[in-house]
This record gives sequence, structure tokens and C-alpha cells, in this order.
Amino acid sequence: MTPDTAERAGGWRLSAVLAVVAVGTALLSLWIGRSSGGATFGLGGPDLASPIFFEIRLPRTLLALLVGGTLGLCGAALQGLLRNPLAEPGLLGASSGAAFGAVLVFYFGLAGADSLLLPTGAVAGSLTALAALYGLAGRRGDFLTIVLAGIAINAFAAALTSLALNFAPSPYAALEILFWMLGSLADRSLVHVWLALPLMLPGWALVVSAARGLDALTLGEETAASLGFDPRRTQWLVIGGTALAVGGAVAVTGVVGFVGLVVPHLLRPWVGYRPSALLGPSFLGGAVLTAAADIAIRLMPPGPELKLGVVTALLGAPFFLNLVMRPRLAAV
Amino acid sequence: MCGRSLAAKIRVGKPWTAARWALATICALTAMHAAADPLPGVASINLCADELVLSLAAPEQILSVSWLAADPEESLLAREAAHYPLNYGSAEQILRLRPDVVIAGVYTSPFTRGLLKRLGVTVLELKPETTLADIEKNLRLVGAAIDRRDRAETLIADMRARARRIVAARPDPPVAGVVVRPGGFTVGEHSLAATLMKLAGIRNVAAEQGLDRWGSLSMETLLRSRPQLLVVTRYRQNEPSLANAVLAHPALASMSARHETTNVRAAYWACGLPASLDSSAELEQAAAHSQ
Repeated sequence: MTPDTAERAGGWRLSAVLAVVAVGTALLSLWIGRSSGGATFGLGGPDLASPIFFEIRLPRTLLALLVGGTLGLCGAALQGLLRNPLAEPGLLGASSGAAFGAVLVFYFGLAGADSLLLPTGAVAGSLTALAALYGLAGRRGDFLTIVLAGIAINAFAAALTSLALNFAPSPYAALEILFWMLGSLADRSLVHVWLALPLMLPGWALVVSAARGLDALTLGEETAASLGFDPRRTQWLVIGGTALAVGGAVAVTGVVGFVGLVVPHLLRPWVGYRPSALLGPSFLGGAVLTAAADIAIRLMPPGPELKLGVVTALLGAPFFLNLVMRPRLAAV
Repeated sequence: MCGRSLAAKIRVGKPWTAARWALATICALTAMHAAADPLPGVASINLCADELVLSLAAPEQILSVSWLAADPEESLLAREAAHYPLNYGSAEQILRLRPDVVIAGVYTSPFTRGLLKRLGVTVLELKPETTLADIEKNLRLVGAAIDRRDRAETLIADMRARARRIVAARPDPPVAGVVVRPGGFTVGEHSLAATLMKLAGIRNVAAEQGLDRWGSLSMETLLRSRPQLLVVTRYRQNEPSLANAVLAHPALASMSARHETTNVRAAYWACGLPASLDSSAELEQAAAHSQ
């Protein structure tokens, strides 16, 4: 077996394991609810079982998997595209840009909470943020420039969101910044699944179709071009796909950070350093991590629910710090 | 009780039989009516909805109120709320209570409201109250939704009588006052606080400067507006917050040394209730002192 096929076999094995874990996590997520006294287990009385299962737990679980998968996949693709271990939709401003787009569309009366215009606004915001980042720092920038530019764009998008919420006609808009900035899956219904999925599916398809191009890009732009891969096409596939998928996700759950950063790093040692091998496992890993974080929220002591983004940041920020402090960072 | 005393009376004598049978029929009908139509079970998931439900509903029909209702810093009816199961407003939790009607606010999580409606639960959404007419309207809406219309009318009549008494005793001409809330916020023309102040004979100088609903008031504007009465709302002042630090501003301290200052519980102004008129009564006394 050549090292390449060994890697590929490792990737498949990892994906199979992650798929099993994802199913297990999803079953737990369907089983565990939350009431005044904290977590509840099972579905409640026979007449309530069906609505609680199909209308409350199922949409929540599906969205955790879809949103987590989106963040994991896009994180892996952005890290490959920018050849940067710190790339991630949250840190680079793709998520905050999406939140700004959704906020503009929603609070200024262009669309209701269940109109497709809402995720469309989010996609536009996300695309703008990513295009700005790539235009400013992407092509020639070293990894520090890209991350710093991303942090600046992220902060700018967050500030614009705050500004928009302050000027929104609804007196409660300013308080709802918490939802847009920290994300939550509480009480989402199947409507939200149908709202996000039509954007996520083509987004994933675009990102996955860039897989080979990303592999070629690891050899440098010129080598990639000589191998027959147009670097610009790969760039726009990843950026467009990420904007679509992340826009769909943020429009229904707000910004959930760090999933796209943590998951590809945790999985890379198992699949090697080819970006294409990392995409599938990162999707599954992101789904597992997000669903698990959302289960953790339901297991917390009684009280109002924690926001999902708080839990993912609690897990992700120390991890990020560890990455930054690692001396061999530049070599990845 | 109705049935047993009637049975005793029916045995007594013939001439009264017709009348007693009529009475018995009425009694039976009422009993049937009560058995067929128990009061609708209600759960509320928003502080102001909770307080209206606690004011209007019969104890046996309250399935749950939100956790804020039992917090004395937030709620005027915390003691009453403590008798009922508290909820944190999640759709799953509410669904398990099998309510006939859920009372929410128009600003309660749109996701929760949408999901409950999708599940076939009747959800009544209340707008925040800024005038006494708003309070009456919400009392009637909730009263109708939970089958307690008479109770709503009683509360409204009492509230009107009380408002008339407050108006009769208020200072004339009105006293110039301004509200300072944590964070340096103040209230404008269209707010519950302004309504309750006006009722007590206080003119709101912030509203005279063009403030519509609520906004922040800089220390400078506050000093320039020369109020006779400073109305300070305190809210969780023992817990550290930047908002409460504003109330310790030296300019404000020197001002309250020179002017009449009164404290109002934040809970009076959070939601419009008949009990909110307590704050008008308190303000009226403070206004009388400041003259």
C-alpha cells in the first residue's frame, strides 16, 4: 500500500467511526429534553411523545447536525484554501457578516423570520465579508496577515450588527444581539430546517467540488495551475460555498464559533495533510461536536438555557490559544 | 351543598314544589355547566403576562408562570407566583403542561411562539402597556382568553376609581420631575413610567425635551433641566453593574442633595398592572414634598 492509499483508507475508517458517533449523539439529543428541574429523559406522556419528538427534538437535533457539519466542513476548506491553520468561518468574519446580513433583512422589515429572504441576506453578508478578506489579504498574505485581517473584518461586522440593532425600530432589538452573536438552537422548528437546507446543500456541493483543487493548492498556486487546476476557480468555489452554507446556518441559529477551527485540527492527525481527505470527517466531526454541545446545554443545572455559542467558545477558545502558542504553527 | 340542601327542602311541602323544582333545575344546570366547562388551563412565558395571569386567573387554572414572576426584584406578584410551577419558557416545557392557552408578549422569543402555534397551542401575544387604557385592554384580552371576564371588569373598575382618587389629590400646577434609571436611562413621553408620573402630577422634563419613549440622559442635560423632583429607580443595586454605577455619579449625588429625590421600585414600571398605580400614589407624596 502506498502512503496515499493508506491515508485514504484511514480517512474512510475515521468517517465510518464518526458517522456512528454522530448517529449515537443524535439519538441522545432526541432522548434528552429540558424542563424546569433541568434535563428530562424520554418523551413524556403518550399523547405528547409525537409532537415532542417530531416538532421539538427532531428539528433541534437536525439543525445541530447540519449547522455543526457546515461549520466543520467550511473550516476545513478555508484552512486548506488559505493554507492557514487558524482559518475558520467565525474568526474570519464569515459568520458575523452573515449575522449582519440577516439582521438588516429582519429588523428593517424586509422579511419575516420564516422567509427565505432572511438566509439570503445572511449569505450576502457572509459573501461580502469573505470576499473582502480574500481581496485584502488572501492571495499573497502570510498566515498572520490573513488572521489579523479576518479579526478586523469580524469586529467590523459585529460592530455593524450592533449599530443596526441599535437603530432598529423594535425596542427589543438591541437586546437580541445576544442571540445573533452567541447562537442558539432553542425552540427551532422544522420551518428553520427547510429555511437553512436549500442554501446549505448547494454550499456543501460547491465546497466539496473544490476538494481536488485544494489538494493541488497545497503545492503552491503555480504548481496547481500546471496540474490543470485553476486556483481562482478553487477560491471562488470555497468562498461561495462557505458563504451559502454558513449564511443558511447563521440565519437560523446565530453565530456559533470555534467549531470550524477545532474539528479539522482534531481530525487532521488521522487523515494526513491533504485537505480533500479532511472535508468529510470534518463535516461529521462538526456535527458531533455541535450536537454534543447542545446536549450539554440541556444537562446544565435548572435555569434559563445557556447559549450554544457560549459552550462552543468555552471549548474552542482554549484550543485556539493552544494553537497560537504552538511553536511549529507556521509549519502546518 | 346545593344538591343536599335542596333535597331537604323539596321534602317539606307541596305548595312550594314547583318553585323548588325550578330552583333545583337551575342548580343542576349550573353544576352541569361547571362540570362541562372547567376554566381553561393557562401558562404564561413572559413577566408581564405572568403578572396579568396572577391578577386575573383562578388559582386552579394556573399551570405555570415564568421564573421571573417569582423574583421580587422583577415582579410585583412574586409571593403569589411562588405557589405555582415556574417555567423557563421553552416550548417543550410548556407543551408538557398541556395548557389550553399560553400568554406571551410580542417580544417573547419568536421561535418559541412560532413553535407553540405550530403545535396547535393557542398563544395570546400581549403588547407592552404604556397607558392606563393599554392596561385595561390587556386585562380584558387575558380575561377573555382564560374565561375570567368578570374579574377583569372588577379590576378595571377598581383601577379607574383609584386613578380618580390620585388625580383628585395631585399637585396643581404639576411639579417638574425627571427619572434616572440605572445606566443613565430616562423615560420619554410614551412610556408607562411617564403615564404614571403624569397621573401623580409630575411633568416629565425629559419628555419636554423631545424624548419619545426612552433613551439616555447625559448628566449635563439632567443638570440643565432643573427638575424639582428626581425620581430614581433602583434595580438590583447590590449586584455590581455598570448601569448602577451611573447612579453614584458625583453630579447626581450633589443634585439629589439639593432636590427632592424619591425611589421607585423598578418592578412598578416593568409591566402595566393595576398595582402599578401604587407607584403613582408614592410619587404624588414625593411631589407634594418637593413643592
